[in-house]
Amino acid sequence: MSDPQLPPAAPPPGPPTLPPVSAGADDASSQALAEAFGSSFKIVKFLMAGLVLVFLCSGMFVVQPNQLAIVLLFGRPMGTGPDQLKKPGWHWAWPYPINEVVRIPIGEIQTATSTTGWHASIPELDALGREPAPQGILRPEADGYTLTADGNIIHVRATVKYRITDPVRYVFGFAHAPTLLTNLLNNAIIYASARMTADAALYKDKAGFRDLVLERVRQLIAQADLGITLEPSDVETKTPVDVRQAFEEVNAAEQERSRKISDALGYQDQITAKALGEAQAILARAAGASNRLVTAITAEAQAFRDQLPEYRKDPELFRQRLLAARLSRLMTNVQEKFFLSERAETQSRELRLQLSREPVKSEAPPAR
Amino acid sequence: MKRNPVTLATGALVVLIFAAMLFAFQVRQTEVVIVTTLGRYARSIEAPGLYFRWPWPIQNVHRFDNRIRNLEKKYEQTTTADGRIIVIDVFLGWRVKEPRKFLELFGDNLAAAERNLEIQLRTAKNNTVGSHPLADFISVDPQSLRFDQIEAEMLREIRAATANFGVEIVLLGIKQIGLPESITTKVFDRMKAERERLVKQFQGEGERESIRIRSEADLQRERILAEAEGKARQILGEAEARAAAQLKTFEQNPELAVFLLKLDALEQSLKERATLVLDPRTPPFDLLQNAVTAPGRSN
Repeated sequence: MSDPQLPPAAPPPGPPTLPPVSAGADDASSQALAEAFGSSFKIVKFLMAGLVLVFLCSGMFVVQPNQLAIVLLFGRPMGTGPDQLKKPGWHWAWPYPINEVVRIPIGEIQTATSTTGWHASIPELDALGREPAPQGILRPEADGYTLTADGNIIHVRATVKYRITDPVRYVFGFAHAPTLLTNLLNNAIIYASARMTADAALYKDKAGFRDLVLERVRQLIAQADLGITLEPSDVETKTPVDVRQAFEEVNAAEQERSRKISDALGYQDQITAKALGEAQAILARAAGASNRLVTAITAEAQAFRDQLPEYRKDPELFRQRLLAARLSRLMTNVQEKFFLSERAETQSRELRLQLSREPVKSEAPPAR
Repeated sequence: MKRNPVTLATGALVVLIFAAMLFAFQVRQTEVVIVTTLGRYARSIEAPGLYFRWPWPIQNVHRFDNRIRNLEKKYEQTTTADGRIIVIDVFLGWRVKEPRKFLELFGDNLAAAERNLEIQLRTAKNNTVGSHPLADFISVDPQSLRFDQIEAEMLREIRAATANFGVEIVLLGIKQIGLPESITTKVFDRMKAERERLVKQFQGEGERESIRIRSEADLQRERILAEAEGKARQILGEAEARAAAQLKTFEQNPELAVFLLKLDALEQSLKERATLVLDPRTPPFDLLQNAVTAPGRSN
């Protein structure tokens, strides 16, 4: 800084003088202060701009592939109908309290399990696949079960899988929809048990029991307009451990009954088939004999007709010739032939024959 | 005095935010709201959105969740019309429908409302169960079951009892039907006895059915064979009849016919291993006799 009142020539000799304290010095400090404030304001502006940027960026949100989202503007869903639902991807909304993002797990298959029909257990036993020991009693506060139509006790557990198909209803219509669904399952297993016998629910019509439970659940879900759709689900039934042995004995007896009946039916099939075979054989023999008889008599008749003209020419000669021819053939077949010479009528004769021969052997001719 | 517009805007924004906090409030989709002015009811708001109010303490906002809430009570015994003691649990789905009534009755205390609902639920449950026999709850005859009817009766009763609560009972269902602890032992004993009876029944049925089937099989066998024998006899009879038709041929010369038959009979009788004792006078062996006696005479 220079003072315009001093001459521009060389400075006069003498002791050095202090710089003058004047209005010029005040201006300098003010200027410095202003510059300092200016810098600070710039920093503050920068920070504020950054904060605004952060504020705006905080409204960015991602909807995952298995989700949908609904954005509320001052508590009211934005858009109408399908436009309410934000699909998977990047979206932007004003930060709360202007906007609020509600995410809904739409794509996930979710699970709910009934709670009032299954026996008490502890994780350690479940891990080992074992059941609690029989107590001879069921405590309502710990042991779940259902009463069947015939007044018996069984354990039932329904595990349903479901998808949220009406997210607005599911999220905004119910304080806790999964709890309500669990109670609907409990209701369905009670309802189905109340109209089926223990044997049917446990063994004979398990599929019918399962269908009855799931049909009831579907009906209740529709009545409550829960906004979900059931996927293929499962219903388990089990005999209480206290009476399981008795039930198994019945099953064994039933199996034994079936085995006996099955054996008897097998015997029936066998003996009927054999009888039919024998009947066929009898008929075949009869048919054979019939044919033989008719054929033989026909052949004899034909032979008779052939021989009759020769016979009529000279009956005695014909008879002798035929007899001699037949005897000659017969004599070759006869094994033993005895000729007894003629004696006077007064002389007696005794003839002894050993007729007890050895029985005929089928494979080898009898040794004589 | 020169003002920076950014500063002004910032200041205005801050003022606006504070004003909004004091004078505005939002009603969420899941809420209904009651606004009171100096403690008195001013208005109800059931539609979601942004609303204005006078700042506290002039006006106050009471919020209620209007979604369906679940209410259940566990393990209570009750008696059926036929004197059977059962454990029956019921669940409710309810929501705040008339917030003004609800506020006047329960204030902001949701727990108090639930306690009152529980009392009414217990009363409705006991009254309804007490007017039905156990057979209306469980029965092998679906026509005699009154399961849905019982739930509907309970729902009607609790709706009537809570009509001035400012709530709506949306749904009601039975979630458990059981028996007192001590009775479960007796049920187990009965089940075991019933199983033993079934074991004996199945054993007897097995024997009976087996014997019946085997007897029927034997009878069937006899029937089949008898029919076959009958048919065989019929076939042979028909054959005999056809053979008899040939007899006319033999009638042309009965002597020859008899002679031929005798020859056949003779041949058949001497077919195998026969021993024949002959008189030398039997032709043609009489030739042998002459041959033997001639040399003797010469001697």
